[in-house]
Amino acid sequence: MDRGLYIAASGMLAEQIRQDQIANDLANASTPGYKGDRTAQATFGDLLLANSATGAVVGRQSTAVQVAEIRTDFRPTAARDTGEPLDFAITGEGFFSVQTPQGVRYTRNGQFSLDTNGQLITAQGHLVLGTGGRPIAAGADGKVDPRLIGVTLLTNPRKEGDSLVTGTPAGAAPAGTVRSGALEGSGADPARSMVDMIASMRAFEAGQKVIQAIDETLGQAVSKVGSVSGG
Amino acid sequence: MLSGLNTAAAGMAAQQQRMDAVANDLANANTTGYKHQRVGFRDLVYEQSGRSSAQGVRTGSGAAAVDAGRAFAQGSLQRTDRPLDVAIQGEGFLRVRLPDGRDALTRDGGLHIDGAGNLTTASGALMQPAIKIPDGIGEDGVTVGQDGTVLAGGRRVGRLDIVTVRSVQGLVSTGDNAFVTSAASGPAVAAPRATMLTQGALEASNTDMSEAMVSMIESQRAYQLASKAISTADEMMGIANQVKR
Repeated sequence: MDRGLYIAASGMLAEQIRQDQIANDLANASTPGYKGDRTAQATFGDLLLANSATGAVVGRQSTAVQVAEIRTDFRPTAARDTGEPLDFAITGEGFFSVQTPQGVRYTRNGQFSLDTNGQLITAQGHLVLGTGGRPIAAGADGKVDPRLIGVTLLTNPRKEGDSLVTGTPAGAAPAGTVRSGALEGSGADPARSMVDMIASMRAFEAGQKVIQAIDETLGQAVSKVGSVSGG
Repeated sequence: MLSGLNTAAAGMAAQQQRMDAVANDLANANTTGYKHQRVGFRDLVYEQSGRSSAQGVRTGSGAAAVDAGRAFAQGSLQRTDRPLDVAIQGEGFLRVRLPDGRDALTRDGGLHIDGAGNLTTASGALMQPAIKIPDGIGEDGVTVGQDGTVLAGGRRVGRLDIVTVRSVQGLVSTGDNAFVTSAASGPAVAAPRATMLTQGALEASNTDMSEAMVSMIESQRAYQLASKAISTADEMMGIANQVKR
């Protein structure tokens, strides 16, 4: 059948995925330390077209489009003051290290509290690790010196949900510094997300129109070609 | 079909929870010893995207609200000059026994003398250990020292027990300005020596009105944004339905 139908349909499916990604950014518009995503599309299954009579090469044509990658923008976002002694924000690059049952994970969401041993934990109850890779105990006044909290630089960070990130620690460039009484804002940019959402919906609609146009052409081929009376 | 619908709905539900917390904070802007709520957020699991995506491409499934306990920052002291009003300065709580028999902690120091002469909170919770004011001595005859020692007519009748827990964020609010301990908070232990009582004053709520208003606006806008994602997803499903006319 007409290849264009499938190409247009694949474009619509890819726009659906972009829409899901945008919805996730918008849902996390106030998640501390959240990092926004971008959906990158790429052509898929290129075909080399040739003139069937002469064999001359016409050029390449894609057979579909797909979402090649959803890239996370891990750049630091501005912090806002909360005045809470157990809220922490990293100024600059890097992540807090957190001990989870699945191993060490990383986060930039610094909304912490204390457990019954007086050690710093995340909102999910995981221990926050200090500069030496050990849990951090609060002082007698219930406060934690921000300099005790470890900041780790990562290569290939990847979001995992629950505000956690996986990645490989890398200690090249100087990591950021921690300050207390502040939380990093969400990296989701609502204005850009809204624009992307509209653009994506219109691209989706264009895909629909292409399918309809091809369908009409095929309809013509079925009903008109071979018709003697014409018109 | 579009999982973005559920993703956005999760975000709306999370904002709704924060809005409830802010509303509670605002309603308690004048509650003695009230501590405002800390609501956080987290993102949810990332799953392989649907058809038309390469292997390893994952989209998130929204946000959830996280209860990060209460903010136990000191509220400002308000002078009342009523002898039975005591305000706690620093970390700690008064130890009381609720009418239902449970032990609880409170920072509401607006005390009263009940019919039997015992010191109680405004909601009728007895001080632990009980402090009995002898007959014939009115409120004006009661003096409370910085360390909690209660004198009635110049004679020592007991001491207000000031306690705290290792993890104040783990305390469970029971209403009536009281908290009970939980496994997450640990048991009640003596408060630090630096904690003092001030007689004739009450601790105001630590709800910051301006901060609460800003959170409310932010919450409403985030709610609106997520709802926009839902209406767009709906519109797209409409478009998909129109492929076959």
